[in-house]
Amino acid sequence: MVNVVIDGKRIAAEEGLTVLEAARRAGIHIPTLCHHESLAPYGACRFCIVEVTQRGKTRLMTSCTLPVSQGQEIQTATEKVMRIRRMLAELMLARCPASRTVRAIAADVGVKKSRFRALSDAVCQACGACERRRNGLSTIVGEAGCILCGMCVRLCDDVLKIGALAFEGRGANRQVTTPFREMTEVCMVCGACSSICPTHAIEHHRIRPREPQPIPSEFEEGLTSRKPIYVPFPQAVPNVPVIDPVHCTHFKTGGCNVCEDNCEVQAINHAMQDEIREIEVGNIILATGWDLFDCRRIPQYGYGRLPNVFTSLEFERMCNASGPTGGRIVLRDGVTEPKSVCIVHCVGSRDAHYNQYCSSICCMLSLKLGHLVMEKTQAKVYACYIDMRPNKKDYEEFYQRLLEEGMLFVRGKVAEVTDVARFPHEEGKLIVQVEDTLLGKQRRIPVDMVVLMGALEPRHDAREIGLKAGISCGAAGWFIERHPKLDPVATMTDGVFIAGACQGPKDIPDSVAQGAAAAARVQGLITKGTVMIEPVVATVDEQRCSGCRICNNLCPFNAIAFVADDAVSRINAVLCKGCGTCVAACPAGAIAGSHFANEQVEAEIEGLLWDAHGNGSWAEGEELAPAGVPNNEL
Amino acid sequence: MTRVSTPEDVARFSGHYRQDLELSAGYLSILEDVARFRAELCQRQPETVVLVSRGTCGRARGADSLIRTLEKEIARTESNGRVRLRITGCLGYCDCEPIVIIRPRGYFYPRPKDEDIPEIVDKSVMRGEPVERLFMKDVVTGQIVRTENEVPFYQNQIRILFESNFEIDPTSIEDYIRIGGYSALVKVFREMKPEQVIEEVTRSGLRGRGGAGFPTGVKWASCRKAQGESKYVICNADEGDPGAYANRGLLEGNPHSVIEGMIIGAYGIGADEGYVYVRTEYPLAVELVAKAIGEARRIGLLGKNILDTGFSFDIKVNRGGGAFVCGESTALMASIEGRPGEPRAKHIHTVEKGLWDRPSTLNNVETWANIPLIINRGADWFAQIGTGDVSQNPWGGSKGTKIFSLVGKVNRTGLVEVPMGISLREVIFGIGGGVADGKKFKGVQTGGPSGGVLSEKHLDMPIDYDQLVEVGSMMGSGGMIVMDENTCMVDFARFFLGFLEDESCGKCTPCREGIARMLQILNCICQGEASEADLSLLKELAEVVQEASLCQLGTTAPNPVLTTMQYFPEEYEAHVRNHKCPAGVCKRLITFTIDADKCTGCTLCAKSCPSDAVEGEAKQPHRILPEKCTKCGICYDVCKPGAVVRD
Repeated sequence: MVNVVIDGKRIAAEEGLTVLEAARRAGIHIPTLCHHESLAPYGACRFCIVEVTQRGKTRLMTSCTLPVSQGQEIQTATEKVMRIRRMLAELMLARCPASRTVRAIAADVGVKKSRFRALSDAVCQACGACERRRNGLSTIVGEAGCILCGMCVRLCDDVLKIGALAFEGRGANRQVTTPFREMTEVCMVCGACSSICPTHAIEHHRIRPREPQPIPSEFEEGLTSRKPIYVPFPQAVPNVPVIDPVHCTHFKTGGCNVCEDNCEVQAINHAMQDEIREIEVGNIILATGWDLFDCRRIPQYGYGRLPNVFTSLEFERMCNASGPTGGRIVLRDGVTEPKSVCIVHCVGSRDAHYNQYCSSICCMLSLKLGHLVMEKTQAKVYACYIDMRPNKKDYEEFYQRLLEEGMLFVRGKVAEVTDVARFPHEEGKLIVQVEDTLLGKQRRIPVDMVVLMGALEPRHDAREIGLKAGISCGAAGWFIERHPKLDPVATMTDGVFIAGACQGPKDIPDSVAQGAAAAARVQGLITKGTVMIEPVVATVDEQRCSGCRICNNLCPFNAIAFVADDAVSRINAVLCKGCGTCVAACPAGAIAGSHFANEQVEAEIEGLLWDAHGNGSWAEGEELAPAGVPNNEL
Repeated sequence: MTRVSTPEDVARFSGHYRQDLELSAGYLSILEDVARFRAELCQRQPETVVLVSRGTCGRARGADSLIRTLEKEIARTESNGRVRLRITGCLGYCDCEPIVIIRPRGYFYPRPKDEDIPEIVDKSVMRGEPVERLFMKDVVTGQIVRTENEVPFYQNQIRILFESNFEIDPTSIEDYIRIGGYSALVKVFREMKPEQVIEEVTRSGLRGRGGAGFPTGVKWASCRKAQGESKYVICNADEGDPGAYANRGLLEGNPHSVIEGMIIGAYGIGADEGYVYVRTEYPLAVELVAKAIGEARRIGLLGKNILDTGFSFDIKVNRGGGAFVCGESTALMASIEGRPGEPRAKHIHTVEKGLWDRPSTLNNVETWANIPLIINRGADWFAQIGTGDVSQNPWGGSKGTKIFSLVGKVNRTGLVEVPMGISLREVIFGIGGGVADGKKFKGVQTGGPSGGVLSEKHLDMPIDYDQLVEVGSMMGSGGMIVMDENTCMVDFARFFLGFLEDESCGKCTPCREGIARMLQILNCICQGEASEADLSLLKELAEVVQEASLCQLGTTAPNPVLTTMQYFPEEYEAHVRNHKCPAGVCKRLITFTIDADKCTGCTLCAKSCPSDAVEGEAKQPHRILPEKCTKCGICYDVCKPGAVVRD
C-alpha cells in the first residue's frame, strides 16, 4: 500500500495501480478517451492529464500511465489541467463533430463548440489533409468517425493476438486499418473491435466480407446468442460458467486472457483439459432423453427458410417468462405480435417417410401452446392434426376446454407451408396448405406464424450408448426394455435400467413414473446387498479355450470378457442368462451351459426315447410322456 | 599517445595505400597487441598523402569520379607507395566539397574538376608545387586560401572530434589505430574499473548531444544500477532534422570513434550488446559503420573475450524506421524491436526498462564519439572547455565542444565544431562569415525543426543547453539555420510545422490534432484570412501542445511558433492586421507592379514570365496583369533597373 493524496483526499492505494485506477476507486472522476481496463495503459488521448507534485516538483502527467508512488500529491482538475482538457476537447470536436462520445467528453469538460475552422474552409491550400482524412474514414470506419483511441488495435493485436488491425500512416494521416487497407483473412470476425469501439465507428464488412456471427445459445434454441464464456442454463448444476473452446479466442490465438485476468478469485484456468473418469458402480440408469426431429428434413414446411416457421421447442422457450423474449410471443423480428398462428401436428412422426411411431406428446403440447397463445395474444390459433390423442386423465377435458376457447382444429395433414401468395389477403403471410378431411376440401390458411410439432426421436448417439451399456435398441432406435409389459424399466443387462424418453416417446408424468420406478429398482438392489443370479449359466473350460474370442461379441448380455493375462475368455456368472449362444458357437467346445452339458442333454434325450426304443413303439395319436410319468397325468 | 594536430604530425602519421597494408598481427589477442600494432603501422608511412573527402555530400558533388581520376593519375606516376590516396569522410566545409588536400604541404583545392587532376598530380603531388589557379578566394575576406591551415572556416573552430576526419579513411581500422584509436579502450581495460569509467564521464560534465542534455555519466550510473540479465547500449544515429548532418559527418568520417565509445560505455555499464540505429536515408553511413564494426570484430576488438580481458561485447547495425520520431528514445527502441516507431510514456526510464524491457543506455553519435577523448585526456581537460561548473551538479554547465550544422543564408556553410558557451555571433559572423549576399541578419533557428527562432538580440548569448532552453529554443541535434531579411517568420514557422505535422506519429491528441490545427491557422495567417482571435487561439493551442504532448516531438513542436510570435510579433501583426507580408514571401499578401518611371521597356520581364502576365511594347513601360500573375517573383529578380515593385 502506498499513500497518495488525490484532490486533498488521503488514499491508501495498492502498489502497482495507476493514478487513474486509484482515483476511480476513490470515486474521483477523471475523463479519458483511450483507457480501458482490459488494455495496457496507452496515454494517447491526454484527457486524463493531472498535476502531480512529488519531491517538490509539480509536473503534468497522464494519470492512466503513471503508477502510484509514495508521497504523490495529485490535483485532477486544476485550472491548468482543465485548460488543457478544454483545448483537447475542442481539437477532438473539430475532428469528429458527429461523435456522441466526443461530444459527451467535451460537455464533461465544459466545451460546447470548437473554435477551429472546418478543414474544407475557404483558406484551402490544397494540403490534402481533408482528403486524407476522408480517405481515412473510408477504410474500416463509418461516419461516426474514428477518434484514434487505438482500443481496437490494441485489443486485436496485443490482447487477442489476432493482428488484423493496425495503425497506418503518421500524424494527421494516421488511421486504423487492415494490412494494405484490404479485406483480410486474418480477421476472425470475432467482433471484439466493434464492441470495444467507443464511437461505434468500425464497420465490419470493410475488414472482412462477413458480419460477426453471434454464437447461438443452445439452451434458447438459437433464439438468442451467448458469449464464449457462459452459464449453460439457469439453475445448471453446477451453476458456474463454462468456456466454449471452439469460440474462445484464447484457444485460437493463445492471446486474450481477459476473463482470467479479471476473475478476482482466480477460478479460471485455460490450461484445464477434459478428463475421463472411471467410476465403479453397481447399477446404471440410462435417462438419456430424446432429440427433436430436424424439421429442415421436410423442406415443404419451410423451417430454416421461412423466418416465421418455428419448432415446438423454440416456441416453448419463447413462451417462457425467463426465455429470450421474456415470455412475449413475437415473430422472428423480435417485435411484432402474430395475429394468427398455425400449429402443425405430426411433423416427422406418424409419417412413412420419417418415423412411423406416434410421438405421443405433441397433441397435448400443441393444446398447451395454443392455450398460451390465446392467453397472451389476441391471435387466432389453428391446429392441423391427423388424429387428436388426448388419451390420459384429464387430457380430453383440456381438449374440450380449448374447443370452447375457440382454437380452430383442422383435421388433415399439412401439405405445404409457403410465403407465395395467390390472393391479396395472403400477401405477407405464411399460407398453410391443408386438406380438411372432414370437409373434404383443400384449404389455404394464411397465418403470421407456424409452429411445427417436431417428432421425438431417439438420441443421435443412442446406439453407441446402448452398446456401451450392453443393451440394444429397437428398429426406431429406442432402448429395448426387458419386457414391454412386465418389466418396462429393466433391460436385458442386469444392473442397467432405462427411464424416460430414451425408452420411447413419453410425456413428463410417464417419464417421472418410470424414473421413480427405476430408482426404486436400484434402491431395492442396493438395500438387499446381494443379487439373485440365474441357475443356468455358461462356463468356460479354460483348459480347452483357445482364446479365439469368437464368443465375446456374440453374447447378447456382454457377459463374456477376454482375460489377456491368461489368454482365455471368462464368463461373468452374474450377467450370464444361460441363453447358450456361446455354447453353440465355441469352436473348441470349451463352453458348457450348467445343467445343459452335452452329457445331460444326451441323457435327457436318451430318457425321452427310452420307452420308444426299449418298451414299445410309437402309437398313432398317442401322447408322449416323459420317462416315468404315466400318460394319463399329462 | 600522440594526437595529430599539426601538419608535422600529419606527415608523421600518414599511412600507406590501404591495399599495400598487411596486418602482421592479424588478430589482436591481448592488450599489448594494440600498441604493438600501432607502432608497426607508424613505421610505414608514405611521403605524400592525397586527401579526398567523400562523404555523402562529396559524392553528390562528384567525388567518386574525382577519385577514379586521381587513382589513374597516381598510378601513372609510378610512385610505388610513396603516395597514398586517402579517401576520408566529410571534412565539414560544405561549400568546398569535394575537397582535395595534398600533404605534407597541405595545399587545399576546393571542388576541383576532373580535368584539373593531372595538373594537381603533376605539380602538387609529384613536385610539391601549388596550382595557383585552383585555390579558393574566401567569400568574406577575399584572400586566396592556399593551404588547409589558412582556411578561415576552420580557423575559429576547436575541432577535437572532427580533426580526426582528416586523418582517417573510414574503411580502415588501421588508420584509426595509427592515430591513437582504441588506446582509450586499452586504458580502460588496463587501469579502470567500470565505476571509475562512469565517474570519469560524470566528472567531465559531458551531457547528451542528442539535444536534451541529460548528463551522460548520470544516465550510465543509473543503467549500471538497474537490474537486468543483460543490458544494451544504443547509438542514436537517426538524425532526422532537416538541415542537420553532424552525426552523419561523424559516422561517415570516423565510425571507429563511435564504436570505441560504445565499447567503453558497455564496459562501464555492464552491457553485452550494442545497437547502432542509423537512419536508412544515410546509406553511406550504414555501409561504413557496418564495415567498421566488421573490421573491429575481425581484429578482435568486438566479440567474445575482447583482448583477453574477459569482457564480451558486440554491436549490431539497425537501419532506421524512416520516421523522424524514431529518433525519440522509446520510439527508437520500439523500432528496433520491430514495432512501429511510436513513443510511450516514460514513467519507467529506459535505463531501467528499455529495449526488450531490459536496461538500455541510448546516446547520440556525438556523445559516444566524445568518450574516447574524455578517457584519454581526462575529465579535467574536457571540463575546461565550456560553461558552468559541473563538479557539484552534473546539470551545472555545458562542457566540451558541440558540432553545429551551420546552414541557411550564411556565407560559409558546413559543420562547425565549437566549444560550448561560444556566442551565436562568433559562429554565424566569425566562422560562418556573416549573412550571404550582404543582406541583413534576421534570425537563427537552433535545434532542428522544433527548435526556436532567435533574433538579433540573442546573438551575444552564449550557446549552451540551459541558455537555449531559457529563451525558448533548444540545442537539439545541432542544427543552426540562419535567416536573412527576406525570410518571412510566419512562413518559416509554417514550413517547419508542415514538416512536424507530417512527422508526428499521430499517437497522442495534442501532437496529431494540435499541430495540424496550428498549421491550419498559420496557413490562414499566410493567406491574410486570420483574425486576432486566431492569433490568440494559436498561442493558446501552442501552449497546450507544448504541455500535454506525449513525447519530445510534440512538446517541442510549438517552439518555432512560440518563439517567432515572441520575438517577431510585428510580422504576425502585419499579416493579420494589415494583410501584408513584410518579407514579401506570402504570395496571397503581395503584389507585383511595375514602376513606369523606372521601367526601360527591356522586355526581359515579359520574356521571363512563365504565365504571360507581363504586357507591354519594347522600349515602353510594361504592366503586370494581376489576374494572370502567379507571384512567382521571377520578374522581380530579373529586372535590372529595379522597376518591378513588390508590395
